[in-house]
Amino acid sequence: MKTTSHPNRFSRHTANLAAVVALGLVPSAPSADPETLPFPVITRFENFRMEQGMPSHKIHSVLKASDGRLWVGTWEGLLVRDSKGFHPITTADGLSHKMILGLAEDPTTGDIWVGTMRGLNRVSGGKVKAYLQTDSGLPNNVVYGVDVVGDHVWVATAAGTGDLNTRTGVWQIYDHNNAVMHEPWCYSIKGAGSVVYIGVWGGGIVEHDPSRGTFKEYRDPDADFHYDLVPDDGPVNDITSWLTWDDGVLWQCTYFGFSRFDGRRWRTWVESKSPLPSNFTQFVWSHRKVAWIGTDKGLSTTDGETWVNYSVSDKGTGLMEIHRPSQPVEKHTTDTALAHGFVLGVWVDDQEAWIATSDGLSHGLLSAAPGRRMAAHPTLPNTPKTSTDSHPNNITAP
Amino acid sequence: MIRLLSRCLLLAASSFTLLGASYERKESPTPRTTEAPAVTLPAADAERDTGAPPPVSSYPYYANTPDELIPFRGVEPYFRYWKQRLPFRGPGPDFPDPPNLKTLRIGLLSPNRLGPEGPRGERTKQGVLLAFEEEEAGRRPDQLPFEIVYKEDSPQWGSAANIAVEFKDDEVLGFLGTIDGDATHVALRVALKIETYMINTSDPDPTLTETQIPWLTRIFPDDRQQCFRLALLAVKERGCKRIAILRENSRPGRVGVMHFAHYIRRLGVPAAQHLNFKPGDTNLSVQIEAIRASNADAVLFYGQPEDVGRCASQLRAAGVQAQFFGFDRLKEEGFLKNAGAAAEGMTITYFFNPDRTDKPWVDFVGRFEKRFGRRPDIYAAYGYDGARLMIEAVRAVGPNRYRIRNHLGALEEWNGVTGHMIFDGRWDNIVPISIAHHRSGHWEFDAPPELKRSDQHASAGSP
Repeated sequence: MKTTSHPNRFSRHTANLAAVVALGLVPSAPSADPETLPFPVITRFENFRMEQGMPSHKIHSVLKASDGRLWVGTWEGLLVRDSKGFHPITTADGLSHKMILGLAEDPTTGDIWVGTMRGLNRVSGGKVKAYLQTDSGLPNNVVYGVDVVGDHVWVATAAGTGDLNTRTGVWQIYDHNNAVMHEPWCYSIKGAGSVVYIGVWGGGIVEHDPSRGTFKEYRDPDADFHYDLVPDDGPVNDITSWLTWDDGVLWQCTYFGFSRFDGRRWRTWVESKSPLPSNFTQFVWSHRKVAWIGTDKGLSTTDGETWVNYSVSDKGTGLMEIHRPSQPVEKHTTDTALAHGFVLGVWVDDQEAWIATSDGLSHGLLSAAPGRRMAAHPTLPNTPKTSTDSHPNNITAP
Repeated sequence: MIRLLSRCLLLAASSFTLLGASYERKESPTPRTTEAPAVTLPAADAERDTGAPPPVSSYPYYANTPDELIPFRGVEPYFRYWKQRLPFRGPGPDFPDPPNLKTLRIGLLSPNRLGPEGPRGERTKQGVLLAFEEEEAGRRPDQLPFEIVYKEDSPQWGSAANIAVEFKDDEVLGFLGTIDGDATHVALRVALKIETYMINTSDPDPTLTETQIPWLTRIFPDDRQQCFRLALLAVKERGCKRIAILRENSRPGRVGVMHFAHYIRRLGVPAAQHLNFKPGDTNLSVQIEAIRASNADAVLFYGQPEDVGRCASQLRAAGVQAQFFGFDRLKEEGFLKNAGAAAEGMTITYFFNPDRTDKPWVDFVGRFEKRFGRRPDIYAAYGYDGARLMIEAVRAVGPNRYRIRNHLGALEEWNGVTGHMIFDGRWDNIVPISIAHHRSGHWEFDAPPELKRSDQHASAGSP
């Protein structure tokens, strides 16, 4: 669970002013106006790779818990970062598999629920308890997504959705036999007020109301994988690779583009016809009404109108594109860059962003915090860049 | 969970000769087979051979489906997928090779031997074994041997996902499998997470390669291609107007005929009936009565051959005179056994004429018969080709999963013992397939479709 309330709430006006000052944004066209950015931008990346102690290149997931500790799911185990640094939690500690796929916090207990390639794990009071397909009601051992809603832990697995009542210990399984799922292959799950959204591989999005026991499907209206017939008509594709929800807005990742549903209308984006840099969208985190999208070509941020895309150049330097409605694209180089453009996980609040990539973990400082200067894109070829991963140990401990 | 795990360490020298020239990539000229597949590559493909950047319309759209069968024909969709292949943009090709390797591990995911796909899985395994044995026999002293990590799926739902994770635990460089569409789908999704390439040799599910996961090549022509061949044959060549669909009530049955139902509708002949049966059903009176009532002039079957044989027999016994059409599996003996005289006149799609006489096929049949004492079927043959392709990739780029992915993901064409393969933007073999008719107790194959290819491709040495 992310931190949804923070004493230093983001102020659109002050943050935008800060962005101008901190970034030194240079408009690439007279009409561009950085003050109109509706959400903060990342001003600086600080990266943690294997050289900085990550146990693997690939980082699958990241979560900052309400107590300030950072949880990092990697190919080679779980890490928890406190004021003394990163500490590994491995299969030797009871973790059911080394490859971590998803993380969620129980806001009531502070327990961390960990989805892995073989089983669900609860990290509580320094101990790990594993739930496997063969010794619990877990539908399948491959747990792609996990979320905590009240007393219930919801998991999206390769063979259905599981619902563990943590008070009674009773499991309920939902798949194509007792729900409207076109296919039972579930890849993401997110609590959304009174309902739960399930991302289904080949089945679009399933909305489940546990109190009523009802299910509702959201499917791609053109019902074909070879094309998107018309935009904005529903989910861009039925193969949901990830989804999330916050503040009344549902976001869907697919490998065919990206979708948004605000309760009344759908919006869809595909590469080359929108600011979305790649159709291969594999993770989305939302904070308030802003989505942070992990693609195979970098990190994108959008409120559905304005887009900011972060990518890494062939030379390793950072690139930032700002797309505003009906405005020329602003392109900037940045002193620092994502650890890698293949983004697998994101966690963001009002002040910072943590990004899991295929080659390390990135910490992004948002525009409300002091940042680094950026140069306008027209000078890109001649602009000396530091492209640094510098000062990984200078991050103030949470 | 029932899970059977065994490993076959193939270190013993084989008595068979590795005939590498028979399955070289297109750069090496090979004899033209009698089963020349017909696929018209766009002119743009010729540009690729000259080194020019891939144009927008790089690959045959919609799996080379004829325009008249494509949905919403005449309407340009907002966005078309698979005009170009999705690259893998993650790190890895420059990672160092795994240290201290003693063998090159390749996974083989097979269906449970006691399940409905078990016998086909066993035959696939034999083809795979032969390929690795031949590779071992021809291995140079400085080359590492291959090791097959063999695992069987279990009836438990989602088992293949767990097995794919075990492949990662076993540090395989790639894996082969499987037949069942459900199992292959869940394994494929894990393949994306574990970043390990999968070659599918026998799952006909059209949706498998339409998931946009760039870690899969399928060398087995799928049901979409069988569907459009059958739809055109039934409607345009035979003039059928009232077509009933009778298929197994299962996911393979549902997705297997899905495109046929769409295609005949787009040809102006919506299905007169779409009926299901449960695997093993012996009482088909309801379905038969519905087909009789519809006055169908054609029936398309989909299901296990034994079930379809029973359906065909009962339909004929009930006086239904409709033309019968079906898919490749009806060539198996189980269909003829249960259909009896009702098999006469059945028309099916099939991958190629197994009695063809080109050297790569004849040589393979001979080697397989010598090793296993029986003639190979298409599962054994595609299993052999899939294994050869994986071996070739590993030998070409070394023990790095990402370089293996890039090698296989870039494959345009390839010659196997099963014939020439052409891969589209989904990494699917779209070479058109043949038609067979059961006449006077034998399967007769139509002449193979004409191969329409650009001069540049022909001069590159491909058949």
